[in-house]
Formats: sequence, C-alpha cells, structure tokens
Amino acid sequence: MTIQSRLEQWRAQGVISPEQHQHLDGLTRGEPFSLFVELNVLLYAGVVAFIAGLGWTVSTWSAHMGDVFVLAALSALVIACLWYCFTRATPWSPAQTSPSSPIFDYVLYLGSLTWSVELGYLETRFHLLSGQGDLFLLATAGVFFFLAYRFDNRFVLSLALSAFAGWFGLTISHWPSHQDETYRQYALLYSLVVGIGAILLERRGLKPHFFNTYLNIAANVLFWALLSGVFQREDYALWLLALLVACGLSLAWGLMRRQFVFVAYAAVYGYIGVSSVLLRNMNDESAILTYFVVTGAAMLAILVVIARRFGKQA
Amino acid sequence: MRIYSDSAEETLRARSLLKDWAGEGFLTPAQYERMQKETVSDLRTNNIFLRLVLIFFTLIIAGAVALLFLVVFLKPSSDQVASIFLVFFAGVCYATAEGAVSQSRLYRFGIEEALVVCAIGCLCAAIEIGLSGSSSLTREFLSGAAGVIASLWIWYRFGLAYAFLAAMIFVILLPPYWTSSHAAQHLIIALFYAAGLVAVVAARSRHHFDYLDDAYSLVEAFLWFGIYLALNLQLSSVNPFSRWVDIRPGTEFPRPFYWTTWVLIWCLPPIVLTRGARRKDHLVLAVGAITAVLTLATNKPYLGWPRHTWDPMLLGILLTGIALVIRRWLARGPDGIRHGFTAQRLSGRYQQLVDAASTASSLIQAESVTPTPKDTSSEFRFGGGDSGGGGASSDF
Repeated sequence: MTIQSRLEQWRAQGVISPEQHQHLDGLTRGEPFSLFVELNVLLYAGVVAFIAGLGWTVSTWSAHMGDVFVLAALSALVIACLWYCFTRATPWSPAQTSPSSPIFDYVLYLGSLTWSVELGYLETRFHLLSGQGDLFLLATAGVFFFLAYRFDNRFVLSLALSAFAGWFGLTISHWPSHQDETYRQYALLYSLVVGIGAILLERRGLKPHFFNTYLNIAANVLFWALLSGVFQREDYALWLLALLVACGLSLAWGLMRRQFVFVAYAAVYGYIGVSSVLLRNMNDESAILTYFVVTGAAMLAILVVIARRFGKQA
Repeated sequence: MRIYSDSAEETLRARSLLKDWAGEGFLTPAQYERMQKETVSDLRTNNIFLRLVLIFFTLIIAGAVALLFLVVFLKPSSDQVASIFLVFFAGVCYATAEGAVSQSRLYRFGIEEALVVCAIGCLCAAIEIGLSGSSSLTREFLSGAAGVIASLWIWYRFGLAYAFLAAMIFVILLPPYWTSSHAAQHLIIALFYAAGLVAVVAARSRHHFDYLDDAYSLVEAFLWFGIYLALNLQLSSVNPFSRWVDIRPGTEFPRPFYWTTWVLIWCLPPIVLTRGARRKDHLVLAVGAITAVLTLATNKPYLGWPRHTWDPMLLGILLTGIALVIRRWLARGPDGIRHGFTAQRLSGRYQQLVDAASTASSLIQAESVTPTPKDTSSEFRFGGGDSGGGGASSDF
C-alpha cells in the first residue's frame, strides 16, 4: 500500500482532516516541490567560494593593492555584514529563533569569515599578533561566540569552537606527529571546558539546541587526546584507564539520551585503544587474527543487543 | 527477486514520512501515534550510527576470518587454492547475509550490508589471485566484470544504492582491456553509463511517488554524474585507482574528441537540471547544479586560459545571485509557489543537515584557524581564509 493510499484511508477514517489530506498528499507528490535545501546549499557554497577567492586574491595581489586598500576593503565588508545583521535581526531569545530573512545567516557567516581573513592578513603583514596571537584567537572566539548566540547561527558557532580550539593550539594534523604531554593536556582541557560550558549553558536554557554541537566536538577531541596517550609506548596505563572511563560515560550518555553517536564513539574509540595495548607486543599472525575474530564477534554481539533493545525498530 | 517485499518497503517509507511530518507540525502527536500504529513493519532497522559501527565490526571479523584461513591454514597452498577458498568465502558471506535478512528480518542493519560488501570484495580478490599468471589487463577486466555483475545483483536484490555506485566504479576497469586509446576508454565508460541511464529512466517511468521512484532517483543521479565525469577530461582520468585526479593535458586526446567533450560538458548541466525540474527530483537537480559548477570551474583549463585569483569570488557571487533571484522569483508567486515550486521549508531534514554540517565543520575548521609554530622567516606567504574556516592565523 502506497503512502497515498494510506492517506486516503486515514482521511476516510477521520484520522486526518480533508485539508491535512490535501496538504500531505500534495507533499508526497512534490506539490509544491520545495527548493529550500537547494537554495540554502547554493548560498552556503557561494559564500565559501567567495571567501576562498578573497583569500587567494588578497594573498596574491596584496603587494600591488597596498595594505591600506586591502584592510579598508576587508574592514568595509565586515562592517557592512555586521551592520546588516544588527539592523535586521529579530529580538534576542534564549530559545531557537528563525532568521529575519533567508540570506541573514549567510551574511553573518560571510562577515565572520572575512574577519578571519583580515586577521590572517594583519598577522602576516605586520606580525601584530606576534606573541599576542593567542589572545587575538581567544578574542576572535569570543566575538564568534557572541555572534552565534546573538543571531542563533550554528555555522558561526562552529567557527567560534574552531577559533577556541586554535587558542588551545589544537589542530588535527598535529596529532600523529606531536603526541607530547603538554599538547594532550591542552586537548583534554579544551574538551572539558567545552563540555562543561555546554552543560552549564544548556541548564541555563541558553540556546539549548547548540548542545549537541558542543558535545560532539568535546567528545571527539577528548577521545583523540586519550587515544594518543594510550598509543605511547610507556606510561600508558593511566591513559587507558581514562579512555575506559570516558567510553563508559559516553556509552551511558548515549543510551540514556538515545543519542547513539555516543555509543558509536565508545565502541570504536574504546576498541581501538584496548586493541592497541593488547596487540602491541603480539607478533604471531594467527594470534592477532584470532584476536580480531573473537573480540570483533564480542563487540558485534554487544552492539546487536544494544541495537535490539535501544535502537530504532521499524 | 527483491529480498524485501514492496509492502514492507512502502511501510518503512510511510513511517519515515510520518516522522518528518510530525516533526514539522503537520500532524498532531495523537494523529502521529495512531498512524504509527497502523504502519508497523516486521523489518528490523537500525540507528544510522549503530549501523555504521556494526558495518565496521562485521568487516573486521570477516576480514580477519578470511586472512586467518589464507595466511595461517592455507599458507603453503597455491594461488588456485587461495582463489577457490575466497570464492567459497564470498559464497558463505552472501548466504549469511541472505539468511540474516530472511531469518532476522534485518533491513539496513549494518551486518548484512557488510557481509555483501565482503562477498563482492572476496569474489574480485579471488579472480585477481586465481589469474595471477595472466596479464594485468586480463585480471583487471575479469575482476572488474565480476565486480560489476555482483554489485548490480546486490543492488537489485538488497536495494543498496552504494552497490550500484560500486558497479559504476568497476565499469572503469573494463575499457583498457579492449583499447589502449584514452579517448575510446572515456567514450566506452560514458556509453556504459548512458546505457544504464536509459534502462533506469525506462524502469523509473513505471513508478511515480513510490519507494522505487526514490530508489531509482539516486541511481539516476549517480549515472548522470558518472557520464559527466567520464566526459569532462579535465576532471577524470580512466583509471580511478591510480590517476583519477591526474589532470591530463588536452593534447593527449584527439582534437575533435577533446572539443566534443567540451561542448558536451556545457550541454549536460542544463539537460540534467531540466530533467530534475520536470521530474521534481532533488538528487538529479543537485547533480545538475554540481555539474554546472564543475563546468564553470574547469572551463578555463579546458580552453587553456589562465586562472585568476578572483575566479572563485566571481563564482561565489554568481551562485549567491542565482539563489537570491530564484528565491525572490518563487516568493513573488501566489502563496510563494510558482509552477509547483516553492522556496519554503516543507521538511525537517534540512535541520538535520545543518546539525551534521556544523559539527563536522567545527572539526575541520580547527585545522585552518590553528596557529602554526611561529615562523621566524620574513618571507610573505599569506594563504589563509580559503578553507571556509577563516584562516585567522592559518599557514602563511
């Protein structure tokens, strides 16, 4: 039975009104056909392409254009974007709000990205941030956080979290090569600050729909940091213990909140960490392969139980 | 021949639509509850994240079992024995997947998907190993042909769209066996995809607004994109495994062929966009838009013209302008609708997209806004801000 037949049946039974039936039946037939997603993706791609070109142009032609012109142009663009946003914004609310116009979010994103380009230019040309770069990053993160919360924009929030990560000195490419203790501690601190901050903000009812973005980022950074500790050849026991605790918490949280991405984090990060410890001194091929068969089967059994008990059922 | 019945697939589709409509407020909670009770399915589905993790662990187990037999138990044996074992193992994986679906009623659960993926992989590996004495072209051709047939069967039997994509990738291995001409190879691949497109369009014409219409939509989008990639000589090379991103100079191809493909890459996007608009198909429309952008991005290299640093800016302005003009034009229609199209949001799926994109972008952008170790050199190497993440202090 197709969805159209079901809708007809529900209308006949009085489950839905004739108006609802007409509306829903139209939706299943693409009448009207919404281009909302396509137009938004087009706007997002347009902003990203523009910023890419802006960065490339400024980097290539700055000597010809002159610092004053470049900075004036970038500042003008940032100011214009912010002026647009502040003059057209809907009143602030701690709950989720809709943008005042379809292009509002993208103007804000454009302004934020342009500010990042300008900051990079300042540092490159004048080394203004020499020794103070961290503070500028922290200030930038603060500005982005303010803009994200003022205008309810998740893309600017992601910029804020990235700039905040930058202030902590975190970058994904550093992990394989710089697994030093200090770096790991910064990563742990970052994930703790972001995680605790997210919980406090959610409890205060400040944009609670941002919560998942915070938590996913904090969890990933935390697991990467703990894994890098487990991968050490020495003094890894404490890191392994911390990883197991984090996996337990992630699993409990995922099951309690029905957010299975955290179950997935616990399973995959935990398995990789434990396996790396158990296999590091194993040289026998058959023993290694048997390990994967046995432990893989055990993980599969546990996950199937979780999926059957908690996962979505049709 | 499909492993899931039409009614089961339709029921799952109905449940998905009901959830979406309830989320958008088109249904009251009471209505949703009642309608949900009337759309119960015996199929066992899974959360997307658990599904991915189950795929991961099933692949680990299957791979370890296969290697255990090959490396440990069959170590001294010949390639033929290893090949026979892999064929047998592919059969076991496939039979287990069939059994899991028929007995446990698994549907996109993860385990059965990983098993069929293993079956295809083992089959292709068996041919590669079994024919190790033959030429590489013969081995590539036969394993590719087996991959195409097996993937198409899995797609048809289980309805897994990515199996169709795998079949399209395996097709790329076939032409080098017939000809060494790169132009001919591109042409053969495009013809294969075009033949597939004709078949899919014909099959799809019998389905309107049902689950198969949705399934064929994705496959049609893949095929249009495949044809475009095969024809755009600036983007594609024949062998994806070694040279897919290798930009070949235009001089490698005969001039008539080269310029014909240039004409075709300009003709395809409007055709695809028109098809998507007439069929009201999101995926085909998306492919039309992507191919249009790719055509604009590769036009200058095609013509041998130099790129300018401001080209991406112009592209960005163009994309934004197009989006704004379409939105405004639609909004001015009665009730914001023109010719059956609207710019209004009618589904909650956009929000899920934004959630996922913002989380992913945070992780990616950390790369671009993170300060690199202080550079003492005075050399000017500004290069930030081009990754969507700002470049507040990116690599200079």
